[in-house]
Amino acid sequence: MDYQMMFWALLPDLMVVVGLFAALGLDYGLLRHRPLPERNFTLARLASWSLVLGLVTMVFLGMQVSDFHFADGQIVFTPMRYALKAGLFAMAILVVQLSAREPVTGQASEYYALLLLATLGMGFVITSGNLLGAFVSLELVSLSLYALTGLWRRSRPAAESAIKYFVFGAVSSAFLLFGLSYIYGVTGALDMAAVADRIAGFKTVPPMLVVGWLLLLVGLGFKIAAAPFHAWAPDVYHNAPTPAAAWVATGSKIAAIALMITLFQPVIDAPEGSPLRLPLGVALAALAVTAMVGGNLAALRQTNLKRLLAYSAIANSGYLLVGLIALTNDARAATLFYTLVYALSTLGAFAVVSLVGGRLGRDAEIDDFRGCWKTMPGMAALMLIFILSLAGIPPLAGFVGKYYLFYAAILGNPDISAWNEGWYWLVGIALLMSVVSLYYYLKVLKAFLVHEGDERAIEEVGTTVNVALLLLAFTIVALGLYPQPILDIFIAAGG
Amino acid sequence: MPALMTVILSFAGALVCGLIPARHHRAIRWTALTFATGGLATVIGCWMRYLPSLEFTENFADVVSHEWIPVIGAHFHTGYDGISLPLLMVTGLVAVCGVLFTWNLEKRANEFYAYYFALIGGVYGVFLSLDLFLLFVFYEIAVVPKYFLIAIWGGAKREFAAMKLVLYSFGGSALVLIGLLAIYASAHTFNLPLLLSRDHFSPGFEAIVFPILFLGFAILAGMWPFHTWAPTGHVAAPTAASMLLAGVVMKLGAYGCLRVAIGVLPVGAQLWAPLVAAVAVINIVYGALVALRQTDFKYVIGYSSVSHMGFVLLGLATLNATGMTGAVLQMFSHGVIGALLFALVGSVIYSRTKTRMLDEFHGLIDRMPAIAWIFIITGLASMGLPGFSGFVSELYVLLGAWGSASPWIIAGAGLGILATFGYTLVKIHEAFFKMRNPAEGNGAPATEYPPPTLPELIGCGLLLGAALLVGLCPWLFTNTISASLKFLVERLTF
Repeated sequence: MDYQMMFWALLPDLMVVVGLFAALGLDYGLLRHRPLPERNFTLARLASWSLVLGLVTMVFLGMQVSDFHFADGQIVFTPMRYALKAGLFAMAILVVQLSAREPVTGQASEYYALLLLATLGMGFVITSGNLLGAFVSLELVSLSLYALTGLWRRSRPAAESAIKYFVFGAVSSAFLLFGLSYIYGVTGALDMAAVADRIAGFKTVPPMLVVGWLLLLVGLGFKIAAAPFHAWAPDVYHNAPTPAAAWVATGSKIAAIALMITLFQPVIDAPEGSPLRLPLGVALAALAVTAMVGGNLAALRQTNLKRLLAYSAIANSGYLLVGLIALTNDARAATLFYTLVYALSTLGAFAVVSLVGGRLGRDAEIDDFRGCWKTMPGMAALMLIFILSLAGIPPLAGFVGKYYLFYAAILGNPDISAWNEGWYWLVGIALLMSVVSLYYYLKVLKAFLVHEGDERAIEEVGTTVNVALLLLAFTIVALGLYPQPILDIFIAAGG
Repeated sequence: MPALMTVILSFAGALVCGLIPARHHRAIRWTALTFATGGLATVIGCWMRYLPSLEFTENFADVVSHEWIPVIGAHFHTGYDGISLPLLMVTGLVAVCGVLFTWNLEKRANEFYAYYFALIGGVYGVFLSLDLFLLFVFYEIAVVPKYFLIAIWGGAKREFAAMKLVLYSFGGSALVLIGLLAIYASAHTFNLPLLLSRDHFSPGFEAIVFPILFLGFAILAGMWPFHTWAPTGHVAAPTAASMLLAGVVMKLGAYGCLRVAIGVLPVGAQLWAPLVAAVAVINIVYGALVALRQTDFKYVIGYSSVSHMGFVLLGLATLNATGMTGAVLQMFSHGVIGALLFALVGSVIYSRTKTRMLDEFHGLIDRMPAIAWIFIITGLASMGLPGFSGFVSELYVLLGAWGSASPWIIAGAGLGILATFGYTLVKIHEAFFKMRNPAEGNGAPATEYPPPTLPELIGCGLLLGAALLVGLCPWLFTNTISASLKFLVERLTF
């Protein structure tokens, strides 16, 4: 074991851990008697700096090290994982900054500590290639997010959602762990690379493995909020503090999808015609259809923007599964790319909700945002970009992402010779549902850009957040116009 | 490269206009006019160079080709030929005239022109694309601005009309996307010239994919029974937007039908052509008859668009050189004349009378003689008066139809022409010559309306002039159109 290498590889996370403890210590030490807004501002700054330092280290390391496989796959670094983790840290900075000017809860230090813990956990999920390591990291994420959801202590709906989230999450973790135990039981390995090797060595694939993967799919279905395992999502998105909800919607989605990719890698590597592929493909298709249809149809009737985004998240999980269905390298790249794009767009939308309407205790009803084009034209323009990206309108990243998903579903397998062998019917449903989704996305934009609202004072949102949001919008446009560099990273084999 | 300036100028125009603060109306409208004129000048420049240099070949001019997203096989590949040129031209003309006819717009003018130019940029892009993925990207870019143009600046029932129009368009593009994915899965290329020059597909494939692709595009072309977005959308839209919708956006659909559906899948086209022809005749007759029953002047024009697009579809369905030349020419012709009709009804007349209901008009021929005569000439041109482009194009379409379609189709089209005569003359009479209130008419003369303003006159002049020019010298376009179609037609008749 090369401990020096391990130290370097974990240095970014170390920065964040230091920031986390510093935030807790400062709040209970030096800043104890200061007023809440001041404490909140200092802590947000501290948390952001620790993330920035972590990000810089990671980028620096990413240029030095290309492939790194450590301790039974507990820490695996590849360019793809680097990229995802760096993106995650960058997004975390925006999430932290969203609450910098106005405290989200009374418990400032716990709030930031939990955010950072969740971010750390997501980072570890992404960089873990080990069954146990990934599971434990995912639990770290989940536990932090349960607590964050319930952090509005005086709000009964928040407490209710936190309990709901916890119960659903715990059940899903059980499914996940059960599935993992099957895979471990059959292959006797915890390292995913070793699992893949063992499976390749089998003459016939034991049916237990298929059961294991189906259980994994159920567990992960809960985590990515794919219908019918989605019931927690609307409540959590609606009732959690808005920046925390943003992190539930984006960060945990990236982590869960990254875990899914890691866990499904042996299936992706399995040869064509392997008995693993067909049942999983069918299960994925079924889950995709229920998620797309359920999410999109339910979203049509929402009047609350955060709930609408929750159902849009459910629908988007469906699209993601459509991309994964071919279980090929293209499918993997498409799924990861769309997850990233979806997360960026959703984060932007949540950020705007949080900045424009979501002050403490105010419900983000869609009609609250009427006349935003007049009071905060910049925010309205940004919302246009984020929502259109979610709707999959070119030239924004959401379009390329969605197209690539459908492309992967139909053409991911280069062996397809006849034109009618792809998943055309599934892509057809996905496209039909995209048309449906345009209705509610435009409903949101109608409030932001079309309707006249009551004249309100123009609210300042702060330079840092403005710059961050502009960067986010720029990234979405740039990824739409020229996605090739990122796609190259995701498509490189052996991720 | 020069042809791409149209796209670049349009998107730059969207950005620049969007960033000027809304209170500077004057600056915004002059900026908009500059960018629109720049686009038109570019197109005219391309046309002047195209006529002598590449005359009568099927080659594409001004080709730009770069790798774009290799993972999904997308290239940035543009160029134009004799088929795209008339359409680029009509886009340029309508873009300029749209600005002229909304000269006095003050409400959120910066945003208006941002959406306006985004739409125009998408349209130019579609006509220039030689890569199917790129074409689809531009096609989609043109969808969303329509929603905001109608929902923010439109008239009665604007939000409903805008949503309906956008969902229809988006539904059409979903079908197109499935078709494109199927084409790529089979041919492994999006390169349009390559797809046009080789046979990649089995007949069974073409028989299934052609209707999907054709229907996807034809929804935007206003094909019956998927035309209902068109009248409501056109009527609710503000003048500049309805000019673009009728003049240009419907042509996107027809262009897609021709270039992509028929061009890439000729065997499927032959199989399905009789059905398309039948639907086209329904379009012509149904649109004309419904127009006859309308009391809102703008709805008359809206349904006349549906009827005229029927001629385009009929021309395409003939699958021979004459008919398809007529179809492309009809796209141009209806583009300029339809846009002018919408401008006259939606802006020039409406801004004076404050009503569009035909039974509230009263002796307009005396009260706004200049405008009335402009409208009458335009209406007759739209009806197919010799000397204007509509006559030539409909003649070509019908001649083409004689060659290939069944007698029933011809008879139906003839009926449609009669109906067109009917509604044009009846509605012109109702609007301008009918005296509603004899008591008032006999007494003191009703107040005169102000004469047309300079921007309005320039706009009318440009569009009518274009229609007249092409009507008198159709060879300006027909030669290049036929040359570019020659190859396509050869594939259809082997």
